[in-house]
Amino acid sequence: MNDRKAVETAPLHLPVKSASTQSSLKKFAVRHKDALIAAAILSPMILWWLVLSGFPTMFGFFLGFFEWVGIADSPKFVWFDNYVRFFQDPLYYEALWRSIWLGGLVTSITLIAGFGAALLMNMPLFGKGVYRSIWYIPAVTSTVATTQIFNLLLDTNNGVINNFLKSIGKEPIVWQYSVFWGVFWIVVYSVWKGVGGAALIWLAGLQSVDVSLYEAAEIDGAGRWGKLWNVTLPGLKPIATYIVITSLIGAIQIYEQVLFMTNGGPYGKTEVLVFRIYRDAFWDFNMGMAGASSLIMAVVVFVGTVFYYRWSTNSDRSNTIKIKGGPKS
Amino acid sequence: MRESFAKKLAFQLKPGNLLAHLVLLGIGLVLLYPLVFMILAGFFTKTEFTTTVLGLLPFPEAPTMRNFLVLFYGSAESAIQKYFVNSGYRTLYNTFWALLTSLLAGYVFARLRFKGKDQLFLILLGTQMIPGTIALIPTYLEFARWPFAGGNDIFTGGTGILNTWWVYFIGGPSINIMGAFLVKQSIEKVPYELDEAAKVDGAGTIRIIFQILLPLQLPIMAFIAITTALGTWNDFATPFFYTSSDALQTLPAAITRLSSAAASPGAVPNWPLIITLGLGMTIPALLIFFFFQKYIVQGLANTGIKG
Repeated sequence: MNDRKAVETAPLHLPVKSASTQSSLKKFAVRHKDALIAAAILSPMILWWLVLSGFPTMFGFFLGFFEWVGIADSPKFVWFDNYVRFFQDPLYYEALWRSIWLGGLVTSITLIAGFGAALLMNMPLFGKGVYRSIWYIPAVTSTVATTQIFNLLLDTNNGVINNFLKSIGKEPIVWQYSVFWGVFWIVVYSVWKGVGGAALIWLAGLQSVDVSLYEAAEIDGAGRWGKLWNVTLPGLKPIATYIVITSLIGAIQIYEQVLFMTNGGPYGKTEVLVFRIYRDAFWDFNMGMAGASSLIMAVVVFVGTVFYYRWSTNSDRSNTIKIKGGPKS
Repeated sequence: MRESFAKKLAFQLKPGNLLAHLVLLGIGLVLLYPLVFMILAGFFTKTEFTTTVLGLLPFPEAPTMRNFLVLFYGSAESAIQKYFVNSGYRTLYNTFWALLTSLLAGYVFARLRFKGKDQLFLILLGTQMIPGTIALIPTYLEFARWPFAGGNDIFTGGTGILNTWWVYFIGGPSINIMGAFLVKQSIEKVPYELDEAAKVDGAGTIRIIFQILLPLQLPIMAFIAITTALGTWNDFATPFFYTSSDALQTLPAAITRLSSAAASPGAVPNWPLIITLGLGMTIPALLIFFFFQKYIVQGLANTGIKG
């Protein structure tokens, strides 16, 4: 049924042709031809998107103003109580803060390591395509499957890493009881999964830097580091804006690895905000808090993106391409 | 020939290049390690796996192909082939729609001129910043209340489209915003004169999109196809939340179910089965990646994000 909807509207010039008998309509159609075609193409898609994504999202935000615990209960309008609770209850504001610094940490490690790798992959090495593939492979694997492998490696009694520690005469560690190690492995997993993709994007950027600039720098007597500092880095600015924004948006919304690796534990000390939203929605059926938290998360991401974009374009206007909004990674 | 080979080898062995080789290869192997471990663990039987003290590279005493065969023939514990087929159908279906909607929407935003275009595009892109988790419960309610489906009268009465194939089908025709963004960037690099020339020759919008522009967008279309295919293939959320019957499960949802059972206290996780399913998911993803990997780089280069 839905398929037909999209296909039927596909003959795009139909409205224009059917109007051709009446002159005023024809004029209208000719003048607004682009808009009519755009409407014919976009409206079914966007309508469908509204039904499946837009409306549920708005409904979720809307629920942020209600107290609604348990599906069977009926919602009660409570104005901003959920938002007040968000900033009073450490469960929530600490989760938000954790999302921010964890996202920042994962992004910086991933991007710096990825940049180093991209510099190496950009050298005239034999088999660099193979390296590129090997580094990218973790990105194509499924989070569910690979987190289970990590869990297996981190098993307390028969985990590979603990067995290794025992074999070199160290005490085995109960990773699951420690906040530090919980966060540590979440970061390791995220970097493991993200570094190849970051390297690939940096590499695309490195290869697009104008070669003649390097030649000019060489004539001016620049060494390897001089070229890196004065030619490569400024040339990478546009792509840096893109990759920092998309990575941050992705990393601040990390929750699958938390769900599958630490499950928020120990004592909820590795809960990040999106995991908290998930938990509220699916385990506690507290839709009010889930909605309020989501709106706060969206605002934080949006404000962060705008500020970063402003800052990075202001510091060098001429060198930056336009990126509108931020794609989800 | 031989001499130039020697020269090449000498070049690769210069200290700087050799160091680069070592770093890329060394870290690369560390990155590959979890997958190597997964493949090795796939050769274990369930009992041997739980009784062996696992070393860094565990080799089984009596290697078995059973886990790999289960991927093709299924087992009593798990209808793996069904999950495979379901995952495959979903992947093809979503990829098809992602390509179609990205191309059409990308064309509209790149080429047509109408009031409010930029604002509309900005709003659509902005929505990508909203965490998707917010929509899970409302979507669940919406699916459950879907009119005239699953025993519903107008809005209530039955289970709607929950736990039916519609859960998978319904998302198709909705606009793929990231894809539209990428196609838009890519089409904007094609000179507009090409469209004009086609128009003079009498081509309509459909022909311009599919015959003139599409052949030039193949790298970015391949990129969208790969990312959508991998995303759908690895997606656990949709089947996990909106379906319950075994006939509708996909591989990642099956793993999620096994692992959440494992999370309950006292349960012993069926690691070999989890690993087998994990392999069943990972190997096709790797194949997709290896066959199309040059498009990933090419596609990225064509979007204009490289500045």
